[in-house]
Amino acid sequence: MVGLPYDCLANPLGAVRLTFDKAVASSGSDPTTFNGRDWGATDIFRDFLFDNGGLSQVPILNATNLRWIQPNTLVRFRGMIQDMLGNEFYVGAYKDGATWRTNKFTDVSQFPMDSSADTRIWERRLLYCVPVPGQNSWTESSSEVVLNPYVNWISPTREKRQREDNASTDDVDDVDMQVSDHEIQDSPCTKKMREGGPVSLSSHLEESTTEGTCPSTSMVFDFDRNSFPCLVKVYDSLEADLKLNDVFEFVGVLTFDLEPSVDKADCDEFTSTLCEDELSHSPPSKVPRLHCLVHRKLAVHDFLSSSPIMEPKSNLVKEMRETLLGHLTAVLGNDGVAAHFMLLHLLSRVHARVDTLAVGKLSLNLTGFNKENVSIFGNRLNLAVKNLVPFTYFMPLTVDYLNTASLAPRKDYETSRLVSGVLQLAEGSHMMIDETHLQAGTLNSVGVENARLIKNLMELQKVEYDFKYYKMEMEADVQLLILSEGKSNILPADLVLPFRPLSVESCEIGDAEALKAWRWYLASLKSLPHSIEPDMQKVVEDDLVAARQADRSLGSQDFSRWLTMGRLMSVSFGETSLSLEHWQMVKELERLRRERLQLKIN
Amino acid sequence: MASDSSPANLHGRPSSPDDSISSPIGNTFSSPGDATRRKRGRRSSAATPTPPPPHHSRFAADAVTPTPSTSRRRGRSASMSSPPPPPAAAAATPSSADEAPPSSEGDEADDAPPPMFVWGTNISVQDVNASILRFLRHFREHPSHTEGKYMRAIHHVIDVEGDSLDVDAHNVFDYDTDLYTKMVRYPLEVLAIFDIVLMDMVSRINPLFENHIQARIFNLKTSTSMRNLNPSDIEKMICLKGMIIRSSSIIPEIREAIFRCLVCGYYSDPIVVDRGRINEPTVCGKQECLAKNSMTLVHNRCRFADKQIVRLQETPDEIPEGGTPHTVSLLTHDKLVDAGKPGDRVEVTGIYRAMSVRVGPSQRTVKSLFKTYIDCLHLRKTDKSKMQKEDAMEIENGSSRNEEDNPVDYEDKVEKLRELSRLPDIYERLTRSLAPNIWELEDVKKGLLCQLFGGNALKLTSGASFRGDINILLVGDPGTSKSQLLQYIHKLSPRGIYTSGRGSSAVGLTAYVTKDPESGETVLESGALVLSDRGICCIDEFDKMSDSARSMLHEVMEQQTVSIAKAGIIASLNARTSVLACANPSGSRYNPRLSVIDNIHLPPTLLSRFDLIYLILDKADEQTDRRLAKHIVALHFENPETSQEDALDLPTLTAYVSYARNHIHPQLSDEAAEQLTRGYVEMRRRGNFPGSSKKVITATPRQIESLIRLSEALARIRFSELVEKKDVMEAFRLLEVALQQSATDHSTGTIDMDLITTGVSASERMRRENLLSATRNLIMEKMQIGGSSTRLLELLEELKKQSSGAEVHLSDLRNALSTLASEGFVTVHGDSVKRI
Repeated sequence: MVGLPYDCLANPLGAVRLTFDKAVASSGSDPTTFNGRDWGATDIFRDFLFDNGGLSQVPILNATNLRWIQPNTLVRFRGMIQDMLGNEFYVGAYKDGATWRTNKFTDVSQFPMDSSADTRIWERRLLYCVPVPGQNSWTESSSEVVLNPYVNWISPTREKRQREDNASTDDVDDVDMQVSDHEIQDSPCTKKMREGGPVSLSSHLEESTTEGTCPSTSMVFDFDRNSFPCLVKVYDSLEADLKLNDVFEFVGVLTFDLEPSVDKADCDEFTSTLCEDELSHSPPSKVPRLHCLVHRKLAVHDFLSSSPIMEPKSNLVKEMRETLLGHLTAVLGNDGVAAHFMLLHLLSRVHARVDTLAVGKLSLNLTGFNKENVSIFGNRLNLAVKNLVPFTYFMPLTVDYLNTASLAPRKDYETSRLVSGVLQLAEGSHMMIDETHLQAGTLNSVGVENARLIKNLMELQKVEYDFKYYKMEMEADVQLLILSEGKSNILPADLVLPFRPLSVESCEIGDAEALKAWRWYLASLKSLPHSIEPDMQKVVEDDLVAARQADRSLGSQDFSRWLTMGRLMSVSFGETSLSLEHWQMVKELERLRRERLQLKIN
Repeated sequence: MASDSSPANLHGRPSSPDDSISSPIGNTFSSPGDATRRKRGRRSSAATPTPPPPHHSRFAADAVTPTPSTSRRRGRSASMSSPPPPPAAAAATPSSADEAPPSSEGDEADDAPPPMFVWGTNISVQDVNASILRFLRHFREHPSHTEGKYMRAIHHVIDVEGDSLDVDAHNVFDYDTDLYTKMVRYPLEVLAIFDIVLMDMVSRINPLFENHIQARIFNLKTSTSMRNLNPSDIEKMICLKGMIIRSSSIIPEIREAIFRCLVCGYYSDPIVVDRGRINEPTVCGKQECLAKNSMTLVHNRCRFADKQIVRLQETPDEIPEGGTPHTVSLLTHDKLVDAGKPGDRVEVTGIYRAMSVRVGPSQRTVKSLFKTYIDCLHLRKTDKSKMQKEDAMEIENGSSRNEEDNPVDYEDKVEKLRELSRLPDIYERLTRSLAPNIWELEDVKKGLLCQLFGGNALKLTSGASFRGDINILLVGDPGTSKSQLLQYIHKLSPRGIYTSGRGSSAVGLTAYVTKDPESGETVLESGALVLSDRGICCIDEFDKMSDSARSMLHEVMEQQTVSIAKAGIIASLNARTSVLACANPSGSRYNPRLSVIDNIHLPPTLLSRFDLIYLILDKADEQTDRRLAKHIVALHFENPETSQEDALDLPTLTAYVSYARNHIHPQLSDEAAEQLTRGYVEMRRRGNFPGSSKKVITATPRQIESLIRLSEALARIRFSELVEKKDVMEAFRLLEVALQQSATDHSTGTIDMDLITTGVSASERMRRENLLSATRNLIMEKMQIGGSSTRLLELLEELKKQSSGAEVHLSDLRNALSTLASEGFVTVHGDSVKRI
């Protein structure tokens, strides 16, 4: 046997046990010294996953493949932490006769546990994770092992193969075999990727068009996707590492409970009330459990199918910017100004918080929509954004919707769970609010509260979570785009721009390669650091002072917006410091915008 | 290790930390069978020379029948749960204790009790017993007290026939640190001994006393946060705070069962719950009957105890960023049942316990999981204790709540705050810390600071009361960050309510009566002002508020109550709130040519209730613009933390304010009082210009009240119990700064309170009076009584000729004429004037 003496993929627990035994032996046969901390097991997996490229072999858990993935194998799950269920105490180590055994990374002990045996209690954290809300289908094609649900028509064969693969890896630990395995898996994958791009796009197109005519379908779609949760048990992590609404990839051991139904008759009332907890509300048959070995925070990059490694400063970036701008212009009916603002909007993120201020956000309000053109441009825009940004959400705003929707996450004390609301979004999500369908009507208390929540999100980038006895503010980072007839007063955006489409010609989606490039462009430029040179700072300051001397109505909000735009403008060129040229462009854009606003009034 | 438990024994902790952690756990949790039923009452059988406890000991779910043999079993008590239960006789000595107690010969002898050790430790039962007795007998809060605190308490409990004795763990710590440590580390064992000692004492004092008194420990030296509970806390006494989110229904738990024979009607002796089970007798106990399987449970003769499961959640201030609150279950018994309702904030002292979860009834495999809960010993509502501090202006997330729990921490904190207060520039420093991202407006910030600290409320025996709260109005041009200031104060202030005038109605601000949808009863719902009692109510867009809503504020701002007479409810609610309002000038921009009243469009009666009225005007000043530009550029491109280095952070500032409000109650010094009188007289005198006939009132009694409040607040800022002369001077300065901006008569340039109170300045009034008399004279001259009418314009011409220089407007003349008409001097018909 060459290579590793154990198979991390098919028998991760074996690897865990092996390291445990080794560690016990070296520490003088007393595992209490670990005190629940890692003894070197995760290092093995880190090596395997990241240094030896094992990560791509680990299947990504989803609703379709859950049925045929073997329990106690290594899987990964990508999702957002939706709720934290607190800590759980378990028998970490126990003595089986004279040898120590460990229960870490499993639910049920491997060897019969004598009830009187010497035991050690350790703890682990429970996280309730769901797929990222509003995750677009193209992000899934990046998984190289698992098919995305849109190309299900070839899946029967794939499934079979996968099963065989699994079986083979189960039985044979041969490294060579694995390599060949990998190759077999890879080749159809790459093929699939080539044909997969357009396929998923066209299906996407259909889906979006139906969405436009009947907005409710989009929600159904989202909720369906969200109903694939996973209970992740995390070991040895700092509390501050994992935060609510963070998007993580967890690699760990998949387990099912052997006894799906706990006999309630045996549990007397005392036990049942005391035990009544999160788990009883999410039966294991529905919610898979993952004992996490390694977790890492995901950035947008990780959702891209392939990341061309490029220097952001190269000419390529400028080229991409031009084509993307062209694409946006086409989508927006040849409104170049709107396309510019759109680009800046898509690049915005909250990069600092000073007191209550969220610096860096740039919400955009496109006005001048009516019922006729919103069905054309709204849908087109929605589709375009969906194709560019990994997590999107579309909210058709009506009085009815405001009065009935549950936007804020709410703690349900009956089930001890945080009930997700629409506004529980992952960092960097894009949210499009269509206000054109809003009619005059009466808001009830829920409606008022919901309107306030959206407004808060827009102004402060914070969402209030309702814990019944108190409310808790959670920070958010959501790009907000509002389509409305006139300036939206309910939702005061940073930028208000009257939209002027010149043509209603349909535009093409752009080919898969271009889309990939644009996604990469947005994802990587968004995270660029930024600074300003002292002399440029002087120029900007002088400009601001002059502007204020000329127009007293300009306030700190306007200046803040200008600077955000300046930053984003230079970022869009891949620059890390503001240049005069870009600053001039921002001023020009702002002038054009003001002109339009003036025209609107007259 | 000798029989007379030496002190060395007492101090000798188990050497390795693992032992102390693992031993109790290992033995208590390994049993799946009755884990759920396990109660701490089991250990109440710890051996002592005292008479055995009566049946109903604490948590007596499975209290062992008091037979002499129990004393032998003591050593095994912890391991009793491991199935199969060992025969009692074999348990004379702990089987696997790391320090086996010497097998003493005198097992049964009362006079020479064998040294008993708590299983798995080297804690001697006798020692603990003796030190508890010492503590109860001799602990005195004050050396002067003749009787021990707890002796008195025990007598009291006996008098009222109570069943529990609250023991302050601080007292235990002060008296016997060692006992405290033992109690916290081995609470099950030590508390069992505690109960026995208590019982012994009670029976000596009053042998007829039947209740079993339990010790309820509270107020531990250290309190844990729910988040930090970890396996090493299991079986330890812990203290934590939280909020009750759910209580189960009350569960009756059987303690003693009585059976009756269906054949002969014979009643069995009470059968005590043993290890969570009642052993139903299979044979009738009566010798004559001896019927088999004939016994049936007689429910109404059994003894039950109340039990409740309460779910506790972390309070918001303990939750780290990006986390969700943790929860923990509480098991409460007897008296503690229903001690708190959902929504209450409580402080709980109890024992952290864990029990194993089984996969299924028939499964041999134990799921390697534990459910944890807290066996509640003492539960205290923290809200209640706050309410007792009458003048406390508690801060939801501040330090005041930690006061009782963490005295050491608290002392440290207070010391730090006091240190801060001794800084010579604390006033300036605090001002800088207030809304650091809003620059300039130094004086406004100082005013707001005074509002935060507040003055002393005064209640005279006559019933008259003077408010201590300072009300501030900010009037200014749009975009001058008024709203941001408001938001900031709202965040900082305890119990702040933030509302916008546009969206507030009168009832929403004060209180309203609604019908409860379920019961149909009328209920009183508090509005924003009542809710911000002892806080600051921030009202944005004050000018946009409807008149009816604003008129409600009159009462609140001076009397500090809200009166309701509606739907059969007549009530007067406290609303001791400071009002911080901000308004835009009526014509969106401040017009310096108009008076404040005209600019703000607020009724003067309401305006006069504001102690300070600040005008925040946007002056076209390049200097400030540059600062703004610099600030915003820095905000976007630099590390925002670098801007302020010696400013206080928000939590410190909050703690500082709350401490000052709770603990500092400054009094006017003689010197300060004198300065106050002098200054006030000076202020009033300033209105009387020598040689001027104009009477300008520059200050009113309301202002002197404001001045007192301001100077008290200024003293508070320094943590000074005495208002000094410099405080008064600064108060004058603040008032004048505010007045100069708002109460300047723009035609004369002097401060004129009439501007605030009536909206008309003295000079304006004088001009009107002059015109009136001029008109009167003119009419007297030109017209006869009942004569022909004169046209208005002619009169105007005449007047203009007479009063050379001064401009006379037609509207002024009309005003004057209408005054004359009301006097019955003339009649005015359209444009013609007729003298009558």
